[in-house]
Parts: sequence; structure tokens; C-alpha cells
Amino acid sequence: MMKRPLMVLSALFAAALSGFAALGGSEESVVSDQVKFQASRRIVPEHGYRVYEISRPDGTLIREYVSFDGKVFGVSWKGPTLPDLSQLLGSSFAEFQNSLHRKAGRRKAAVVNNSDLIVESTGHMRAFQGRAYLKSMLPDGVTQEVVQ
Amino acid sequence: MRGFAAATLVLLIVSLSGCGSGNSSSSSETTTPPPVNNVQPVIVDAGPAVNGQPVGDEDVLFTTVTICVPGTATCQTIDHMAVDTGSTGVRILASLLTLPLVSSMNASGQPIANCIQYADNTYQWGPVAKADIKMAGEVASSVPIQMVGPSNFPAAPADCTAGGTPAQTVSDLGANGILGVGLFRQDCGAACALPSSPPAIYFSCPASGCSIASVSVTEQLQNPVWMFSQDNNGLVIVLPQIAATGAASVSGSMMFGIGTQTNNTLSGAQAQATDGYGNFTTTFNGTRYSSSFIDTGSNGVFFLDAATTGLPDCSARSQEVGFYCPASTASLAAINSGPNPNGPATQVSSNIAFSVANATTLFNSSNTAFNNVGGANPGAFDWGLPFFFGRNVFLGIEGQSSPAGAGPYWAY
Repeated sequence: MMKRPLMVLSALFAAALSGFAALGGSEESVVSDQVKFQASRRIVPEHGYRVYEISRPDGTLIREYVSFDGKVFGVSWKGPTLPDLSQLLGSSFAEFQNSLHRKAGRRKAAVVNNSDLIVESTGHMRAFQGRAYLKSMLPDGVTQEVVQ
Repeated sequence: MRGFAAATLVLLIVSLSGCGSGNSSSSSETTTPPPVNNVQPVIVDAGPAVNGQPVGDEDVLFTTVTICVPGTATCQTIDHMAVDTGSTGVRILASLLTLPLVSSMNASGQPIANCIQYADNTYQWGPVAKADIKMAGEVASSVPIQMVGPSNFPAAPADCTAGGTPAQTVSDLGANGILGVGLFRQDCGAACALPSSPPAIYFSCPASGCSIASVSVTEQLQNPVWMFSQDNNGLVIVLPQIAATGAASVSGSMMFGIGTQTNNTLSGAQAQATDGYGNFTTTFNGTRYSSSFIDTGSNGVFFLDAATTGLPDCSARSQEVGFYCPASTASLAAINSGPNPNGPATQVSSNIAFSVANATTLFNSSNTAFNNVGGANPGAFDWGLPFFFGRNVFLGIEGQSSPAGAGPYWAY
């Protein structure tokens, strides 16, 4: 199998590397997310891209999908707690918020299906999952199905 | 509301007569307490009023809860608490509270605060306090609850808001509070008691500002049902079937306990254990969706997406955005499955027939209860309140034994 961890870091940086975005941002933003989520990290190479897997102590797994030119084209999350989406969606977060025409009192999934930005945030207390990607940033030959 | 009062009275009479004739119900307890009224009336209606008008959300299940200063007769009754099997913990809008409840303090002498975040990036924030919770004849003593959004408390820190939107008013919440009676004993559990890097759910709030903190399991928000002195292993929600055009209001009952009294026996209901996250598998058109769940707090059956189901989304510009709007009602079938909680090697399956009508058409009527509204939930099934009409749905709480085995499980 191609899925082989290249390295495992159990980093707990004291200093926050702020100023980076995640989705749509640079590869360095993954380090910023790792600090924010106080998590360990491993890198999984795939055909045409690589995946940073960030594991929180509570069991929540965040995946960031990075193209070979160093751009985060997708993110996903699964686990008992909801990660900070304003951190994870980076500069796309405002568009995500503005696209939710929610009527008060209705609890349901948050789904955004815009021309470029796709966000699917679902689940309930103790079981959240979701993904987001930018269609324009998918590497050549890579489809959105890989963002899981 | 007159219909609600009449229905409540009838339920009370039925349950009282049930108690009188059912006092010989068996129990394996060595000291069996005398049975108490375990029937809590519930209703689907247009919700609490804001400026004289009901908030008018569809398919929200409500009940009335009495809360008291612990160990005293100083009590307050809160109507239109949303009954939520998808979360754990009692959360009451602080603006409605007249009781002198006292904030819980941590070992450092600082107030404990709680944050609940939802998948749609809304949240509720506020201090934790202990109160006695009374429903039907049942009492849960000194239950940690959340006082949502008090004005005299530090604002929600960024770790709680996560850039999201507060749902801390009656109109934003569509209810006066949330009665979280889900599958779990606590809202968070062991993860929030981790000594290092707990999630952003519990906070310590000195005057200098609130920060994420570890909180012991016993100080966390609790499911009041498992803290009852009896009938504490789960509950069953009973709602009648309704017409395909909906109903203006629907009255039903929530009975506490499973197999503890004559009115809460499983009676052939099949139990399916959930996984440790409260999820199970729903199979639809041959594909298995293993992150599916049952939730009275979801006001529709939310499943998959338009591309997978062939059901068109309602207009993105309409109030029904997120729901399906098929031209004609779709009749669908799915299979829910999970291990038998009494013997995990055995799988238990149930065929579920359901239908999805045009949400815009339904919501344009004056009705508030519908058994056939649906919407998108990519990758899984969220069996919301429509699932409950015409079905007795049992919820077994984690770690609590019952004739069907130990929770967490669903039975129906």
C-alpha cells in the first residue's frame, strides 16, 4: 500500500505560529493548526498530494490535504469534539458563515455548496464529522472524493 | 393550548391508575422503592412566544421541567424546554431564570463554565450551577446544569465561539432551554477530565478571563434521567402517528425507565446498541452509512444529499434551505442495524419505511408537526423527530442495565 507514515511528530509547541490560514493556505498553516489543536501529527503520502493527520488527545482526527506546490486544498475532521472551524477553514470561514441561511431553532447539518467552496459539517454531541475543499485548488488528477 | 391541557390531564389520570394497579411489577432490586409517576407529558407545538407570537419552528418536541434550589422547595417551572436525545445536559436560558442558583466552583475556587458547539457553528455558553430537576414524579438531586448566556458573567471566549453564532435567546434557540436526555450520562465524559489538553467544553473563569479547563466527570453536565433514584436506566418516547399533511400540535409522553414499571416494558421492541459515539449503521440503496443517529432535536429526517437521493433541495433563497422539496412525495426504505446489547455477536436489523414531501408546501400550512420532512446530511442519516411519530422509541443510557442489556442502545 502507498499509505505509509513518513514521520511522526509529537509536537507541543509553546509559541503559536499565528497568521497562517488552513484551507486555501500554505503548508506552514498545518503547523499552526497543530499548535492550535494541541495535537500530534503524521504525514501520509498519496498519489498527487500528501495528507497531514492531526490527532487530538480526545480522539478527534483532523486531516489536511496538501498539494505538491504546498497549498491546503482540503480539510476533514471526525471525532467527539468539533474543531475550531474558524481556524481550520481559514480565509474561507467568512464565506462559510455567510452562506448558512439558517432559520432559528433548526438543528441540522451545515452544508455549503458554492461555486468554489464546499463545506459539509454534520453530527452531534460526541460525534462530529465534516470536510471542506476548494474545487479550484484540487491538484490535477485528484478528485474531491479523496477529502474524507 | 386548551388541547394540550386536556391531553395532559388524561395522561395523568392514565398513569395514576397505572400506578395503582401496577404496584406488583417485578424488580430484581433488593429494596424496591414504591413506583412513582414516570409519565412526563410532551408536545410538538409552535413553541414559546416572543412578543406574543410563538416562534413557530416545525417538529420541535417540548416539555415542562421544574427546577429547584438543591434540597429546597424554592422552585421554578420552565415550559417549552426542547427534548433532545441528541445531547446530554439541562441548559436553561439565564434570562428566564428567577431562581437563586449558585455557580459551581472548581478546586481553584473559580466558576466553572460550559460551552456546547453544534455542527452548524452555533453555540451556547454559560456557567454551571447545581439544581434539583423534577419531571413527573421523578427527582434528580443536585444536577449540574448550564445557565445559558447570563449578562453578569464573562463573555464566551474565542475557544468557545470559534467564530460561530450564539443561540442564546428564545427566538434564536426556538425554546426556553434544552432538556438533553441523550444516550450518555454526561455531555463530555472522560475527555473533559483529561489533565492536559481537554477540548473546549469546560472552562475556568477567574476575573481575568475564562480558559479551557479540566473538569471531573461528576462536575460535568449530567443527563438528569440517570440521576433519578429509580426509573433511571433510560426512557421511552411515545408519539401518535399523524396525517401526511401534518398536525397543528401533537401530544405524547416520555416515560422514564425501561422495564421498571408496567408502562415501560419493551413489549417486543428490538434493541440495537450504538457505538461509543452514539452512532449506528443505516443501509440505504445497498450502501452502509455507519455514522447515523436518532435525534429528537433534529426537526426532520436529514440524510445524504440531493445527488445521492435524487431528491431536489429546496430553493437556496427560501426559508426551507437545507430541506428537500420533491415535486411529489417520495416513499423510501432503509435498514437500521446494530449489535444486540444483550449479546454483541448478534446483529439486529429493522426495516424503516419513511417518506419525504415538499418542505415548502408543508411549512406553508399552519401545522407544526410533520412526519415527512427531510433534508441533506451528507454521508449519514440523522433520524429526527419524524422518526418518532407512530413509534415507541426506547433510549438506553450508557452503563445502565435493563432487560434489553446495558446502554447505549435504541429499541423500537
